[in-house]
Amino acid sequence: MSQTIDTTAPGGSGPRQANGVAAQPRRWRLAAYPSLLALPAVLLLIAAMAYPLLTIVSRSFSEPEWGLQNYVWFFSTDVNIQVLLRTFSISAWVTLVCVIAAYPYAYLMTVVGPRMRLVLILCVLVPFWVSGVVRTLAWVILLQDSGVINSVLKAIGFGGVKLIRTPTGVVIGMAQVLLPFMILPLYSVMRGIDLRLVQAARSLGARPALAFWQVYLPLSLPGVFAGAIIVFILALGFYITPALLGGPRSTMLSTLVQSQVLSLLNWGRGGAMGVVLLVSTFILLALAAPLMRQRHKQASRS
Amino acid sequence: MGYKSALAGIAGATAIALVSTFAASAQEAPPAGTIVDGSLKGKTLTFVSYGGIYQDGQNAALKDFVDKTGVTLLNDGPTEIAKLQAQVESKNVTWDVVDTADLPPYVHCGTLFQKLDLSKIDVSHIPAGQVGECSVPAMNYGVVLMYKNDTYKDNPPKGWKDFFDTEKFPGIRAIDGSGDPIGGLIEQGVLADGGSVENMTPADIDKGIAKIKALGPDTIYWKTGAESQQLAESGEADMILMWTGRAMTAVKNGAQYTPVWQDWLVVMDQLTIPVGVKDTDAAYALINAYLGKNAQEVLTEKTSYSPINNEAQPKVDPSVAAFLTNTPERVKQGYQQNIKFWVQNFDAASEKWTALMAGN
Repeated sequence: MSQTIDTTAPGGSGPRQANGVAAQPRRWRLAAYPSLLALPAVLLLIAAMAYPLLTIVSRSFSEPEWGLQNYVWFFSTDVNIQVLLRTFSISAWVTLVCVIAAYPYAYLMTVVGPRMRLVLILCVLVPFWVSGVVRTLAWVILLQDSGVINSVLKAIGFGGVKLIRTPTGVVIGMAQVLLPFMILPLYSVMRGIDLRLVQAARSLGARPALAFWQVYLPLSLPGVFAGAIIVFILALGFYITPALLGGPRSTMLSTLVQSQVLSLLNWGRGGAMGVVLLVSTFILLALAAPLMRQRHKQASRS
Repeated sequence: MGYKSALAGIAGATAIALVSTFAASAQEAPPAGTIVDGSLKGKTLTFVSYGGIYQDGQNAALKDFVDKTGVTLLNDGPTEIAKLQAQVESKNVTWDVVDTADLPPYVHCGTLFQKLDLSKIDVSHIPAGQVGECSVPAMNYGVVLMYKNDTYKDNPPKGWKDFFDTEKFPGIRAIDGSGDPIGGLIEQGVLADGGSVENMTPADIDKGIAKIKALGPDTIYWKTGAESQQLAESGEADMILMWTGRAMTAVKNGAQYTPVWQDWLVVMDQLTIPVGVKDTDAAYALINAYLGKNAQEVLTEKTSYSPINNEAQPKVDPSVAAFLTNTPERVKQGYQQNIKFWVQNFDAASEKWTALMAGN
């Protein structure tokens, strides 16, 4: 094929012609396989993600011997089931708290002037750059029985509240750590919403609440879903915050994995726990996916 | 000189030679603290421990060894048995001497840790009963019951029975939940329950853990030494199980707590050599230097942990001395957990302990 091109090519200097001819099929090939562009990322993911994950899965079936014993053990141990359900429920609460806290904040970011917006962005990002451990320890000081919150409550005449070492304390701490992951996707979606649509709804007689509910909210839902998924999935794997802010009744699955692997050297069981968490996350996402697609269509239609 | 005297001379010389050979083999292990100048030039050893002032103190204790033998000492950490297992399994062991918690060298003796050749290290100055088949102690400390002065005033708890008695001694308890089961505390739970620890059975683990669970839902299981110290300094709990080093620091920082020394739980860190290290003799040389009197004095002065050489006379101020566990009085009051039992039942105990930690 290269020869036919060679013969039909218009005149020119030899080497240049040869170069052009050689380049042409190469360009063709790249155009035919654009997925090749993803090769570096794919290789990295295989080495750093797929291979270790496969090792974990295979060890969960092969240690100490081939079979399902690690999964049988997982589902026949009450603690594991209880902690798995608790992990999902705490993550769901964290996601809810994040949505409620982030939504008005992200909206505010879209309506203020540029200088104020910078301040708001910094308020989100600066804590984000501080290590999670440091932030968690700060929460210890705030939430503990003799801490800032309880001292203030007692000083103004209220009784103390039990915050640290309760699921509530863990949700508060995790929500603060994860808040940027909700605010940033929400902001990027809200920034793209044309506020004239809300004005149009108002001019057609909708009260502000209705205009928000029927126009603005559906348009912002993709951001809510994106943020919720990121926050929920990150929350499932949290380790430090529940360990420091929680008590026995707020232990999450990662702590149990840690004790299986690090103190019992039971890689099989630890792997099985990880796989169960991963698979149940996939199932949950699969259930949520159709809901999200539908909402998304609604939003784009309006 | 006659024939007979010549024979006698040969016999005498042989006898001397025999005696000296015998003496040499009996004393083959160089005395603890021995450092041979220039003996490890060009060699590298990796020492693994738990970081912080502890590992810094260990490095200070080994400074003489490093300076004189010419070895390059690298530091790594924190010790994680799972990481070590991965190294041993892949036959690429980069950790030469590893400081561990007290049970792992017994649980993984021969599989992850080498059986120690006692002709290469001098263990004669180590406190009795602390040399394992695969480990020597790295330092001694204790888990001690600290009670809050304000809460108990004139009627303070005097031992573990009072710790487990929530009626006579109400208040929030805080327990070491940083990792492995605290065998000594479970044993004390069995005793407080009216049981005996003479011939422990796995059923006793349940009894002891039930006793700990009966302390109530407000019980705090601290995850790190720093957290226990923070609990004491802010007065969050009424009785706290604390490592002696952390207890000392908390009191120094103004925590209003008092230790109960009766039956304090004896704990130690261990020094081990993993299976498959490249230069075993160099690792032995490091350990033997570490066990020496001078090294142990430096270690205690820098870290406030108790030395494991009985000749060491560290110079420490009274606040540190008050929490050292190697004085004759403290040695008498200490409670040593049944290591053999906990090693044999390590998996069962860990599982039950984990369930306790997870709220079940």
